[in-house]
Amino acid sequence: MLTSSKITAPPPPVVMVRDMDFAYGGSRALTDINVSFERHRVTALIGPSGCGKSTLLRCINRMNDRVPGARVTKGEILVKGKNVHDDDVDLTQLRKQVGMVFQKSSPFPKSIYENVAYGLRTHGEKTPDILDDAVERALRSAALWEELKDRLKQNALSLSGGQQQRLCIARAIATQPDVLLMDEPCSALDPIATLKIEELIHQLAHDYTVIIVTHNMQQAVRVSDFTGFLHLGKLIEYRPTEEMFTHPREKLTSSYLRGTFS
Amino acid sequence: MSLKPTAGSNPFLGAKSRIERRETMVRWLLRLCTFFIVAATLGILAHIFIKGAPVVFRSSWPFINTTFLTELPSTLHVIEDVKGHRQEVDVTHVDEVKAALGADFHADTTIAYSGGGILGPIVGTALLVFVSISVALFLGVSCAIYLSEYASKGKRVEMIRLAILNLAGVPSVVFGLFGLGAFVLTAPVLTDLPLERSLLKIPLGFSYLSFQGWDTCVLSGGFTLAFVILPVIITASEQCLQAVPQGFRETSMALGATRWQTIRYSVLPFAMPGILTSSILGIARAAGETAPIMFTAALAFKDKLPWQKDLPPLPADAGLFAQWEQSIGRFLGIFTESVQALPYHIYTIAAKIPQNEYSERAQYGSVFIFLVLVAALAAGSVLLRRHLRAKFRW
Repeated sequence: MLTSSKITAPPPPVVMVRDMDFAYGGSRALTDINVSFERHRVTALIGPSGCGKSTLLRCINRMNDRVPGARVTKGEILVKGKNVHDDDVDLTQLRKQVGMVFQKSSPFPKSIYENVAYGLRTHGEKTPDILDDAVERALRSAALWEELKDRLKQNALSLSGGQQQRLCIARAIATQPDVLLMDEPCSALDPIATLKIEELIHQLAHDYTVIIVTHNMQQAVRVSDFTGFLHLGKLIEYRPTEEMFTHPREKLTSSYLRGTFS
Repeated sequence: MSLKPTAGSNPFLGAKSRIERRETMVRWLLRLCTFFIVAATLGILAHIFIKGAPVVFRSSWPFINTTFLTELPSTLHVIEDVKGHRQEVDVTHVDEVKAALGADFHADTTIAYSGGGILGPIVGTALLVFVSISVALFLGVSCAIYLSEYASKGKRVEMIRLAILNLAGVPSVVFGLFGLGAFVLTAPVLTDLPLERSLLKIPLGFSYLSFQGWDTCVLSGGFTLAFVILPVIITASEQCLQAVPQGFRETSMALGATRWQTIRYSVLPFAMPGILTSSILGIARAAGETAPIMFTAALAFKDKLPWQKDLPPLPADAGLFAQWEQSIGRFLGIFTESVQALPYHIYTIAAKIPQNEYSERAQYGSVFIFLVLVAALAAGSVLLRRHLRAKFRW
C-alpha cells in the first residue's frame, strides 16, 4: 500500500518492460520493447493482427512459458520491481499477483461459486467463511452479485455470454491481484454486453492496474488512460490515450488510426 | 444420351448412364457387406441365446437355473439301466441312484466338468477383471496424463506413442509368456523363506524381499491382462484428455494453479467419462482373453472358491484380533489363489473333453452367461459414464 506522503507523487509503475526481445523459437515476435504500465490506470494495447500485442500481454504473467520454444531473449520484465524471470520466482505466486482474462470466456463447467473460488482454492484456502467473503467481494466488484447471489450453485455455463465474461473477471480478481491482464475481453460479445464490461473496467481501475489488448480502437478510446500502438513486434508509440488519438506523433500511428497504411 | 426430347416419348425414361449404374452397384456392394456383418453378429447371438438360454432359465420359479450359477463345475454321470433309459445324475447322488436301480443298472458314463454349475469360473473372471482394470486404469491414465500434459512434444514422445501402439499388436499368447516370466516367476514377494530358484534375495532384517514370483494366481493373471489392455486405455485416455478444451488449462494456470492442480481439478474430471468408456473395451477384452491367463492364473478345474482355502483352525481361545487377522488373510488370499476363468473354462469344455449330447449343456450355458456378464459390465460403464457426463459437461 502507498503511504499518504507518497500519494502526491506520481505512483511508481507496477509493470515495467525494459529492452525486451521475445522469440518463438527462431522467429522474433517482439523487438526492443520499453514500456511502463502506470498504477491504477487502464492501458490499452492496439495494433494490427499479429503485431505482438497479445504476446506482450502474456509475457507479463509468463503464460508464454506454455508455448514450446517461446522465450524472452533480451531485456527484462519487472512486476512490482521484481524480475519475473528471476530463478526464485514461483509462477503460481506471480499469477496470483497478475490475473488474466481471456478472449474466449471460458468458465469451468462448475458452479458459479466454484468458478470464483478456484484461484483461492488452488492457493490452499479452505475456510468456508473466507471463501464465501472472497466470492461475494469478487462478484460485487464484477457487478454480478445482485444478479447471481441466489444462484451461486448453478452451473456457470447457464449464464449469458456477457455474464460469463464478467464471471471470468470476478474469478481473476478473487485472488486480489495487483495487475489485471485482459486479452480482447469483448471480442466475442454483443454491444450491450461490451458496454457493461467497459463500465466494469472503469470501476476496476480504482483498485487494479488494467492492461487490455483490443482490436477495437473506439474501445481503447472509451476505456483507457494510456495507449500503446504495436506494429510488427515493435512498440511504435506509447502515450496518454487522448493525445495519441488526437495528435499521433508517428506517421505509422496516424495511418493506422485512420485505417490506411500508406 | 440425346438431350433433344422426341415427340411422344417420356423425357425421364432415358437409359441410365454407365456412371450411374456403377454408382448403384457400389452402393449395393457396400450395403450388402454391412448387412452381412450385421447378419453374422445377430446369427451368433441368436444361436447362443437359443441354445444357452434354456440352460440358464427355467419355466417355473425362480425362473433361473440357480444350480448352474451357484455351484462349482463337477463331473456329470449319465446312468443307463438295462431298458436303455438314461438319466443325468449329479456326482453326489450316483451311488444312491445305482443302489435304487439295483440289478437294472447297466452303465455309468461320466462327462468331465459338465455337471454342476460355473460359479468358479464366474468368480475367477470377475476377480481377474477387477485386478486388471484397476492396474490398467492406474498405469494407463498416469501414462496418458504424462504424455498429454507433461511430456514436451517431440521425437521422444512420438517414439513412446509408437511403442504403445505396437504393444497393441503383440499376440496375446506372447503376453501370457511375458506374464509367466515376469509375474509368476520373478515378481518380488515378502517372505521369510525364499525359494531356491529366487533370482534375487534382499534381506530386510525382519524378512526377505525375494524375486521368486507370485506363482499362478489372480494377481499374476490380473497384471498380465492389464498389460494386454494398456494400449487401448492409454490411447483412448490421451484422446479424452486432448478433447478437454485448452482454454481450461490456460485459465487454470493463469489463476495460479500448478500443472497438477490444473490437471486434477480442470482436466481430469472432464476427461473421466471418456476414459471410462474406453475402459469398457478394456473390460470386455480382459474378460475374454484366454492365452494370457493360461500360464498365469487359470486352472482347468478347481474344487474350491478362492476364499475357501484351508487355513489352520484357530485355537478355541483365539482372541478377536487373531480372528480378525485371519479374516484379512483370507481376503488377501483371494488374490494369491489360482482360479478358474470363464474363457478358459469354455475352452476346456469345448475342446478338451469328449463331445456328446450331454456336454452341450455346460458349453452353451457358459458362453451365454459369459456374454451376459460382459454385456452387463459394458452397460454398467455406460450408465456410469452417462452419470458423470451429466455432471461434468461443457
